[in-house]
Amino acid sequence: MRRATPLLVGAALLLLLPLAAIEPRAWLTLTVAGLAMGMLIFLVAAGLTLIFGLMDVLNFAHGALFSWGAYAGFTVAVAVDGRWGWAASPSVWANAGLLLLAVAAAVAVAFALGVVLERVIVRPVYGQHLFQILITLGATIVLEELIRVAWGPNDQVMPVPATFQGSWDVADVVVLRFPAIAIGLGLLVYGGMQWLLTRTRVGLIVRAGVENNEMVQVMGHDIHRYFTGVFAAGSGLAGLGGLMWGMFSQSVRPSMGGEQLIFAFIVVIIGGLGSVTGSLVGALLVGLAYNYVAFLVPKAAIGVTMGIMVLVLLARPTGLYGAGK
Amino acid sequence: MSAPAPTPVQAARAAARRDRWRSPTLSLRLAVVLAWALLPAVGPSFQLLDLALKIALFATLAASYDVVIGYTGIVSFGHAMFFGFGAYAVALAVGRLGAPTYGHLLQGFLAGIVVSGVVAVVVGAFSLRVKAIFFAMITLAFAEFALILAVQWGALTGGEDGLSPKLPGVFAAGAPGVFGLSGRLVTYYTLLAVCLGLFLVMSRFVHSPLGRTLQAIRDNELRAEALGYRTFVFQLVATSFGSVVATVLGGGYAMWVRYVNPESTLGIPIMLDVLLMVIIGGIGTLHGGLVGAAILLSARTLLPNLRGLSGSLFAGSEILQRLSERWLLYFGILFVLVVFFFPRGVLGTLREALARRRGPTASGRT
Repeated sequence: MRRATPLLVGAALLLLLPLAAIEPRAWLTLTVAGLAMGMLIFLVAAGLTLIFGLMDVLNFAHGALFSWGAYAGFTVAVAVDGRWGWAASPSVWANAGLLLLAVAAAVAVAFALGVVLERVIVRPVYGQHLFQILITLGATIVLEELIRVAWGPNDQVMPVPATFQGSWDVADVVVLRFPAIAIGLGLLVYGGMQWLLTRTRVGLIVRAGVENNEMVQVMGHDIHRYFTGVFAAGSGLAGLGGLMWGMFSQSVRPSMGGEQLIFAFIVVIIGGLGSVTGSLVGALLVGLAYNYVAFLVPKAAIGVTMGIMVLVLLARPTGLYGAGK
Repeated sequence: MSAPAPTPVQAARAAARRDRWRSPTLSLRLAVVLAWALLPAVGPSFQLLDLALKIALFATLAASYDVVIGYTGIVSFGHAMFFGFGAYAVALAVGRLGAPTYGHLLQGFLAGIVVSGVVAVVVGAFSLRVKAIFFAMITLAFAEFALILAVQWGALTGGEDGLSPKLPGVFAAGAPGVFGLSGRLVTYYTLLAVCLGLFLVMSRFVHSPLGRTLQAIRDNELRAEALGYRTFVFQLVATSFGSVVATVLGGGYAMWVRYVNPESTLGIPIMLDVLLMVIIGGIGTLHGGLVGAAILLSARTLLPNLRGLSGSLFAGSEILQRLSERWLLYFGILFVLVVFFFPRGVLGTLREALARRRGPTASGRT
């Protein structure tokens, strides 16, 4: 609680300070866009921090899983749209169906890839950070090149359901629809993760396994199976993030994962390695700051995320919520 | 009065000093240097000369990266950034300060070294305080930032188009030159000497007591700390040293290529190349970078010729054609396999095999 107060003050300042320079309506639009961007980054960063925080594995292949999720969702969306025309259809149900199918495909593919990655290349290098980085980097190269082989090296247009395009007018404020959905989804994922980790038996075993791997095994739980699950769940989140990002920017390209991975890393560093709440706060911080600054001084936008990271590290070397283990 | 018996540490140091000139590969090293020095006399095509010097430059760059990753055990993704700092500093100093002179060239190198030194210390101070693993992420973020800065700040850096500096005096392309050598060859020999000098400095660095402390920290940080070493300071010194060496090499690269742009000096692809060179050559061997650079750069120069061939071979199938074009894919697979089965790289594996052959007593040189 003691720590929550300065944080709330900081959040309020961050939200309200730009009002001095931006007119209220544009500010609201920017805030919604910033929150949406933050939530999309959170989806990626959450998977990253889950894998790092719980399993102490630095997964540089996360960006590639992000791209694979986007491309899997893209393929399903194109197929469904081509067959039944669900993207252009005015029916909300058809649109939602397309989105759900695409999400299912993205998560399923990224999850499956995550299982394979963990089993084949990550498991032999537990506890060796250097080799984790090297081997997941190699996997990134391979996965990204495979995308180029399968789908071609160029940008492609992602079909976005008609209902989710455009905006709602809420009291004269333009609320873009897709960002609003992204915000809802992000909150859902955050709630789900917190519930799973702190309120369920599976979460308990996983957390105990992180504390003392051998003891949990002695208690009769196959901890490796849980770790595979955690890795795959984190990968699935990356895939989900990839699909949502693809819909948000209405395009997919092979290198999209690598670009977002930088953001995700910055967010994880700001939030503190291994803290899901930290990732959420860091992601929202970065998303909002990026949008405000991009509106005011477009060229400084990428610099501001770096600036936040440096400031946070100066004040708290382990990140906002980092345990500093 | 008899001299006191040497302590084990003194004995080990004396042994290391004795062995320095008895290294079995000394003749091999001299042969490599000689080959590079005599290459222009054979009168090869410019493409071959270019390849040779690039191998020398990147081998030294890989070695400087090896000091950080192999001898200190810190993964940095900012090494190419420091390389780029050097390249840009030299290109800017020579190109933007008026007519190119030797003074401007020197200023460029010095400015690059100062900027890199400061950035390296700041980045290290931020990240190494907590956990060496932070360093990987923070340097990655910084490198990305530097890349974007170079692209966006077009007024200074020329943006995506980059800079094409003209060199002063004997280095200039059409200079009459000294000893009957053209400007190109003068640059070639100067940079070769720079690479050789840096190699010797780095070799001294990693085999000094400081270098041994670094290896101790790499192998067991807690224990090194318990022995009273301030690991943070040592890691900071090592990363800064490696970064400054990379900066000098970046300046040398700008002198040779006479063209600097964000993609070719600052980008993540360059970083991956250097990482691949170190891993393929052998991590923690210093000279492995030469093997890695030779393999990687030769492959890159020769492979485009193969591409035409594959295009005619697999004309029928688009997927097959794409598969044959994506040579990076095979490199990625090769990389994973090397990390798995030859984690010590070409040179490390060779050394291990040699040491085993010579028997258990002669092992222990790293």
